[in-house]
Amino acid sequence: MMVRGALLSALLFATVVAGSHLGGQALAPKVVPAPPERTYTIAVASEGTDEISIISFGPSGASVVTRVPIGLSVTDPDGPHGLAVAPDKQFYYVSTAHGTPYGSFWKLRTSDNTVVGRVTLGNFPATAQITPEGHLAFVVNFNLHGDMVASDVSVVGVDDMVELTRIKTCTMPHGSRLNAQGTKHYSACMMDDLLVEIDVATLEVSRHFQLTKGKEMGMAGAPMVMASAGSHDMSGHGMTAPAAGDPACSPTWAQPSADGRKVYVACNKTSDIVEIDVASWTMVRRIPAGAGVYNLAATRDGTKLIATNKRGQSVSVIELPSGRELARIPTTRRVVHGAAVSGDDRYVFITVEGIGSEPGTLEIIDLRTLKTVATVEVGQMAGGVDVIR
Amino acid sequence: MPRSTSAAALLLILPFAAGAQTTAQPAPVPAGPAIASLQILPRDRSMTARDTMRLRVRALDAQGNEVPGAVIRFNRAGGFFEGTVENDGLVRSGSTGTLPIVVSATILGRPPVIERLEVKMLPGAAHHIAVTTAVSTLAIGQRMRYLATAYDNGNDRRDDRVLWTSSNPRVLTVSRDGLAVAVAPGAAKLIATAGTVTKEVPVTVAARRIVSLDVTPASADARTGDVIRFAAKPMDAAGKAIDGLTPIWSFSPGQGMIGADGGFVGYEQGTYTITASFGAQSAEATVTLTARDVRRPLEVVGRSPKKRFTTEEVWLHPNGKVAYLGSGSGGDLFYTLDISNPANPIVSDSMVLNTRRVNDLMTNAEGTILVNTREGASDRKNGIVISSLSDPLHPVKIAEFTEGMTAGVHSAFVYTQPKFGTHVYATNDGTGAFHIIDITDPYKPKQVAEWRTPRPDAGRSLHDVDVQDGLAYLSYWNDGLIILDVGNGIKGGSPSNPVIVSQYKYDLNDLYRQVELAGGPGFIRGTHTAWRHKNYVFIADEVFPSSGVQGAKDASAGRAYGRLQVVDVSDYANPKSVAFYEPEFGGVHNIWIAGDTLYMGAYNAGFRTFDISGELRGDLRAQQREMAHLNTADMDGFVKNAAMTWGVVVRDGLAYVNDMYNGLWIVRMKPKRGITP
Repeated sequence: MMVRGALLSALLFATVVAGSHLGGQALAPKVVPAPPERTYTIAVASEGTDEISIISFGPSGASVVTRVPIGLSVTDPDGPHGLAVAPDKQFYYVSTAHGTPYGSFWKLRTSDNTVVGRVTLGNFPATAQITPEGHLAFVVNFNLHGDMVASDVSVVGVDDMVELTRIKTCTMPHGSRLNAQGTKHYSACMMDDLLVEIDVATLEVSRHFQLTKGKEMGMAGAPMVMASAGSHDMSGHGMTAPAAGDPACSPTWAQPSADGRKVYVACNKTSDIVEIDVASWTMVRRIPAGAGVYNLAATRDGTKLIATNKRGQSVSVIELPSGRELARIPTTRRVVHGAAVSGDDRYVFITVEGIGSEPGTLEIIDLRTLKTVATVEVGQMAGGVDVIR
Repeated sequence: MPRSTSAAALLLILPFAAGAQTTAQPAPVPAGPAIASLQILPRDRSMTARDTMRLRVRALDAQGNEVPGAVIRFNRAGGFFEGTVENDGLVRSGSTGTLPIVVSATILGRPPVIERLEVKMLPGAAHHIAVTTAVSTLAIGQRMRYLATAYDNGNDRRDDRVLWTSSNPRVLTVSRDGLAVAVAPGAAKLIATAGTVTKEVPVTVAARRIVSLDVTPASADARTGDVIRFAAKPMDAAGKAIDGLTPIWSFSPGQGMIGADGGFVGYEQGTYTITASFGAQSAEATVTLTARDVRRPLEVVGRSPKKRFTTEEVWLHPNGKVAYLGSGSGGDLFYTLDISNPANPIVSDSMVLNTRRVNDLMTNAEGTILVNTREGASDRKNGIVISSLSDPLHPVKIAEFTEGMTAGVHSAFVYTQPKFGTHVYATNDGTGAFHIIDITDPYKPKQVAEWRTPRPDAGRSLHDVDVQDGLAYLSYWNDGLIILDVGNGIKGGSPSNPVIVSQYKYDLNDLYRQVELAGGPGFIRGTHTAWRHKNYVFIADEVFPSSGVQGAKDASAGRAYGRLQVVDVSDYANPKSVAFYEPEFGGVHNIWIAGDTLYMGAYNAGFRTFDISGELRGDLRAQQREMAHLNTADMDGFVKNAAMTWGVVVRDGLAYVNDMYNGLWIVRMKPKRGITP
């Protein structure tokens, strides 16, 4: 695996790069990115090569420290997809999507990347997150490859690595996040244009929200989702541009604000972000984003929302609460996927899948300068990403 | 449901109503007693299969008081094909077995309290008895062991000890365990009893006494592995044959097996004594076996090493001068190789596709089109790609078919029937469905049928397809071998209307118990590939342990397991496994049969060939049917110094062997070495 982050970052630190092709558009401030003051450790899951890359990013640049193979099968792909680091940083967790047909959820020790637990979940386990106190994981069972029927969210007791329950939501539950308080879980259902809220205290669906443009509406309780007799087409998993005038949202990510009062939902088809007020359960506005906005991340200080633009081959940094796009930063390769913000809100780490045998990449953006400061090649189809420390 | 913690959550959110943009803190751990234990009732967790049972749980504190507000959940932790449990504790059994259940009690902010339990799902009361010894006539003095098994009303086997009695001990006596002795001429019934259920077996004791007995052939000369059929001919005092009698067959000394039909196969050279017994009367025959002597040396004619990606399927153009080679582990291409000089295969072209694995590829019989599978496409559409072979050395993509096959296609078989046209018979990675796509017009592929095993979605997985004479042989992993009529007519099937002909299912967990012991539960095992030859279907299993060798550095230390079974399908309604091969180390993957030779990619066990001439029975390895072996490891391979032989295509005496780690090998089996005195 080629590692060229160190070289790139060294060049950036040494040179004034105002207007650099790696930087943002005109809105981005033209300042010299300073090197990081400490070393960050990031984990990236590569669905195409069944491995997790552990990446170090510090004053001397970025590089892959180790690659951790993951999966059950020697000959068939297991497809690591979602990745989540425990709040205490002692463990990280990876969902592997493929199975016969059920996927798995793995627990690895951060100190030596050893697998210490695995539990079988549902169809195509994808996005995962650990609750703030560290006892539960919420993992959406995306069910990408089967019939268009309502799927569910698995709740895992991570101390013992046992699945406690599955909470039925809607068709193709995708990008999901807990609020910072750990009281609500939000997931987006790609094929039903729905946002679903789960009450973590009761482990039940509490509300849902219709996201179709012009029909936005919040509703109480669980959605009534019928099995779809329609096509399996999900627009190339966010890569195919929608027909002109298509009001469908095709939501791919739900991101609560830092204070838990808002939820932002990426509408992959309409290429905008629906902002929902949690208290009134009403839409506040639609924030324009890049083409095929896909995953979201928010800074802990509540001032920025980062969006990956899957079709746009770029990353949008959006100012909150204004909704103004501060920068749209191109990525080096196509199929932009995940985003994770460092604990100090200084950097956002972006995964890019690539196409075919292209390597995946981790692209590191300085959220002060809104510049890409390092790019590291990792295994193909890089998706899930989180910051270990 | 209890919502005691919702108020705490609301209080936490309220301070932010002022608009402060500061990071929120996790919800505080609620006050009140912690859960110390779970009281789960009933304590007896056994139930009758296909019935229901209600589990009830109370979350208790350290003083034994019920903790208010605890969220109780039940979840199945295994037995995914055998039963379910609802959130309210209702267990629904679907079969016999053990259903592991996790019971949890959760309070927001606290670690869940978890109890694991197992519900034993047992067969119901004995409903009927099946007698497996089909002998209805005995000779005076003959002894015969009768075997019987009790089943419940769902045909689940019970462990009852079946007890035997005779309706007429003056004619026929029987021990409690079923050993019958014919005493005098007449009729009697053997009565098998399990619980309140009985089964009667009418038995006639022939009036004529066996005075002499012949076994034919009296002597035989053969090789190890040859099946020799012996027949017993009991005769009365007048020297007349007594028909309808069945002896007990045995042999000694030596290694081999003999069936109830008198078919014997020996594994080692030497002289064996075959015995037919009717109790007091017995007779012997001898058989002398020489070594099978089929071992042959191999010669590596040429190679095309590949290590950028793993190497996947190999296929040859019908002209025999072009090979196509897939790639995996991130491979987004297949290679075209000019093999007109097998000693020097040359890559003439490659096709890059939106995929991360070309697992399978195959041409039609005319060699005008090539179909390849895709897995791992960046748009997750996958499906199949069709290429024109106007120039076989330079395929040109002309169409693709992805509808409903987003998960990827693992295997695809191209097959033409004059009556129905050309179709692709393909697997679906995600649903386990079998898709049939009409490519008679290769530019406009269209699906004409989709078929699935009639079972819950969980565990349905289709790995490989072989089509011969209008019958599709599907390697259906947990469901074993499935044979479908897709145009043969035996069941009125066609490509647009596949009809099931037969299924051969076997206990994979029992067969590979040692793999679970070695690497832990959850290991990979299933029916992986099938090939019809004569009245047999050869099926091979793919088996890998669930974990690698602890402490080992890399893939070189890993290994596969597996067994090749020879299934006799002379009677489609009753397919039966008659022979097998299992390597001492390594697995069994893809096979090819040409003439009386079976060629095999055996993963870590390298490339192997076998003599499959004549009737097959028993352990093919023990009876010395293995002809050749090549370790396809390479010190510079994708994984160094390790063989991972995938499969083989045979043409004109050359075996084109693909190895996942080491690319293409072109191999020839040489004539047997002459013995120099």
